[in-house]
Amino acid sequence: MDGASSADDRKNGAFETLRSVHAAQRHLLRLVPNVRTATGGGSPLERLERDMELPHVIDAEGAEDATLRARPVPGAPVPAFRAFLDGTQRSQLLGWIGSLPLVYGTSGAVIRERIERRLVTWHTPLVEHRIYAPLAYAPREELEGALGAQLEDTTKPGPDGTIPAPHPTLLLERATLAVSRDRERLELSLAESWCASRPDDPIMIDGGIGSSEAVASSACAVGVVKSHRTLYAKGEALNVVLALSRGERSSVIRIAPRARSEVLSWYLRLRATDGRDALWGLVRVEMRMIDSPGITARADEISRWLLAESSPLAAPDPRWDRMAYGIRSAEEFLRATTN
Amino acid sequence: MTAPLGLVVATERTPNTPHQFQFWTAIDSPVGIGTIVRVDGRQPVDGHIPHVYGVVTEGFSYTDLASPLFDVLGHDGDPGQAAFAPTERAEVRLYVAAVLRHVPEEPLQPVPMGEVFLATEADVAVALRMDTYLRDGASTGIPIGLYRSGGMDSAIYLDAEFLVGPEAAHLNITGVSGLATKTSAVEWLMASLFAHFPKSKGSVAAVCFNVKGPDLCFLDQPAELEENDRAMYETLGVPCAPFPDVRYFAPYKADNVSLNTLRSNEELSANVQPLTWGLREVLQFAEVLLNRDDVDAKADALIDFIKERVLDRDFEDRVLKQKHRVRSFADLEGWFRDLLSGLEDQGSEHWRTHHVATIRKVRNRLSNISTRCAGLVTNDGHTSDLPWGDFTDRAVYVVDVALAEEDAQDLIFARIVSKLREHLERRDLGVTHVVVFVDELNKYAPADGPDTYVRKMLLDIAERGRYLGLVLFSAQQFRSQVHRRVVGNAGTALYGRMDGDELATPGYAVLSAATRTKLATLSKGQLMVRHPHFTQPIFVSFPRPAVMRGRDGMERFPQAADVPLDVGVLRQLRRFEPTLTLAWVQDVIGLYEEEDVLRALHATLAHAPEKAGAYFKAQFRKIVGAAPAPAVARTPLRALPDDDPYAI
Repeated sequence: MDGASSADDRKNGAFETLRSVHAAQRHLLRLVPNVRTATGGGSPLERLERDMELPHVIDAEGAEDATLRARPVPGAPVPAFRAFLDGTQRSQLLGWIGSLPLVYGTSGAVIRERIERRLVTWHTPLVEHRIYAPLAYAPREELEGALGAQLEDTTKPGPDGTIPAPHPTLLLERATLAVSRDRERLELSLAESWCASRPDDPIMIDGGIGSSEAVASSACAVGVVKSHRTLYAKGEALNVVLALSRGERSSVIRIAPRARSEVLSWYLRLRATDGRDALWGLVRVEMRMIDSPGITARADEISRWLLAESSPLAAPDPRWDRMAYGIRSAEEFLRATTN
Repeated sequence: MTAPLGLVVATERTPNTPHQFQFWTAIDSPVGIGTIVRVDGRQPVDGHIPHVYGVVTEGFSYTDLASPLFDVLGHDGDPGQAAFAPTERAEVRLYVAAVLRHVPEEPLQPVPMGEVFLATEADVAVALRMDTYLRDGASTGIPIGLYRSGGMDSAIYLDAEFLVGPEAAHLNITGVSGLATKTSAVEWLMASLFAHFPKSKGSVAAVCFNVKGPDLCFLDQPAELEENDRAMYETLGVPCAPFPDVRYFAPYKADNVSLNTLRSNEELSANVQPLTWGLREVLQFAEVLLNRDDVDAKADALIDFIKERVLDRDFEDRVLKQKHRVRSFADLEGWFRDLLSGLEDQGSEHWRTHHVATIRKVRNRLSNISTRCAGLVTNDGHTSDLPWGDFTDRAVYVVDVALAEEDAQDLIFARIVSKLREHLERRDLGVTHVVVFVDELNKYAPADGPDTYVRKMLLDIAERGRYLGLVLFSAQQFRSQVHRRVVGNAGTALYGRMDGDELATPGYAVLSAATRTKLATLSKGQLMVRHPHFTQPIFVSFPRPAVMRGRDGMERFPQAADVPLDVGVLRQLRRFEPTLTLAWVQDVIGLYEEEDVLRALHATLAHAPEKAGAYFKAQFRKIVGAAPAPAVARTPLRALPDDDPYAI
């Protein structure tokens, strides 16, 4: 057996041992001393209360109109998306070494391609099972020996070189964030594959598209952001966004968050807000940067595509007012295959 | 390798068991209720990968929709908008299958998770255990039809040892009227049985009672079949032709010269024979016709006395004025008349322990039989019967009782079945197995109602017939209303399209709702089959019978009109000697009473001579034509004086 094969075998073996949280616990108990395992399988850490980014508003530069305004989307809704991309993650407390938490994380991403009105999985979905451990405080060698590439350090130094304190809650939060980053990495990997191989087939991506230059500059990628902790409108512009009626969009703006590629974006109201809060049925759309003359037509076109996706409903998902059925299908697929 | 059709699934709430499992398939998979599938397990058990065969009994379909309200909301309450939805909801086709067979059979475990495949022809044979009786050179398979699935046709065979005996026997078929399924299925199955019944198992003939309409009146006439029917015959190895050897038997009408059958067209008369019985034959089954409430033990004793001491022997008694030899109803009437007259003369009320009132009652009841069964029962004692002792292998004997009175039907049925039984017991019938087909079991063997002689006979065949080679093929519209032991003893049961009310009865509770629904919507030529080798019911298609349908036959060969005696005689005689003419018949019978003509005719038919005309003519006594007597000159005792005209 050559070295490469042996490494592959170890990698595959490690992957197999992490197929479930219980398998991972058994593996660690066998190979790493002083591990205590959590009982009861563990609730997803994503449900735990933690400090989240506070909702806030940001001013954004207009790309279509000098002042942000409401624009009715002309024409009838037209379905044009050929695929839907989404990812999921799940973090569970695996056990402890001393008081240091070990987290078992599963992240995955899938593209559901629409063929003759039915959704099927495009290529191979990406799924990872990893252990997230505070290696600055835990026995690094034993853990690396037992887990190899399936191990992720939750105590990597920050930009200022400081190592996070060994506070259990902080370490759990950092583990969850690390799982989230892995999920995003898998999503981007799939998105890049699609954009490279199917550049003419529009794909709806759940979330923003700016974290990958290749995706952010692709003509086929359309990001749909459902959460609005950050609203890219201030003052009167914010009022315009929140007052959008069904089938109306805002003017296109240019956004460039930190460490992300610049994209064009606009708000679109998918459903009437009768009796609902101001964010009901409101999504923010992202597309690649294009020259000014074509912005309006392209934004209208993509808005028509999105409005066409308002049926069938993504219920019973609680976000069904903003979620396309194709995105729900991707989530359901991952839930069925990774749990 | 064939792609799997589905995957076995099980949950804690709906686990798989050794006898049932669930699997899902693609939306467009060719699976339906009745489809046979094979599951290949993933883990070996005792070194063998388990294979499980099952038949689909239930199906479910649902989407990820949590509530219908979401669909309403999604389409803004307008169903027309559904067509514009860019995506169809995720949908599942989930099936429940009943296990037909595990291979290996032990240890018997719950159905494992595994891939599900559409059963191949070989799989179907294994699943239905047909591999145990379709061995080369020793096959006892009788094709019942084709199992069709996924573009594949598989021949389905019944085991002759479980259809005709001795392991099990009898067949019962249920279905609504009007779809021709019951009669067609029996005609097809008889053809299949005749084609495939192994010679090594003996010989087989069929006796069919035609109880309604012209259903079985044209079994020897070809049908016009479509290409797909012919293909099925070829696939199943059954000749696509009418039965080559069919003989019809029917009683006469009341005129005693025309046969009481819808198959009375002269073109078809060659193989139609009268069915007539005399006193001896009838008296053996007198109890069939006599009302049990009316005929008591005393009357029974007298009837037994007549059967044992009077019938067919010289009988003398001091009460009687003359010696009697009773051979016919007419002779019996004479015997009664003489007996009662003698008793009257002696002023006696008893004769050999029998009261005169009992004698009068028995006379009345027995004499009445020839009236009630006119056409079947002859006054002159003449008998024309089935060829007892000379039955032919693969021949069909149709007894047409459709137009006969109910009493006559009962008598015919009771006597023929009894005779079959007698001869089979003695092994001198001419064949070793006889299939008796009786339709309308709802009438002849009802679950409730009086315990009739006919029902007792049917029960006897159902319970003991298989040991003798006497096999009952029966049919009815409502299985639930037939005596349980008659249908319960049928090893094989066929079901055509069923009535919803019938399916709601407890007897069908073992079938799944989907199977019951399929039964209620079966089309012509489809059957559900239950057979001892099949652990679950199987759906098959069978071809149209290669024999002319009754109503087609009636159009092609219309029933002959009632004819006068001379024409009736001519028709009967022409079967043997076609050159005879009406003028010849009129010339021969012109001088004789109808009774004499019929006696001569019956004697001719009984002997079936080559020169029927001459034989017929020879039956008549020579009658000299009446001539005027010559005038006789009479001489007075003494001459009268010429002048004394008053002889004073």
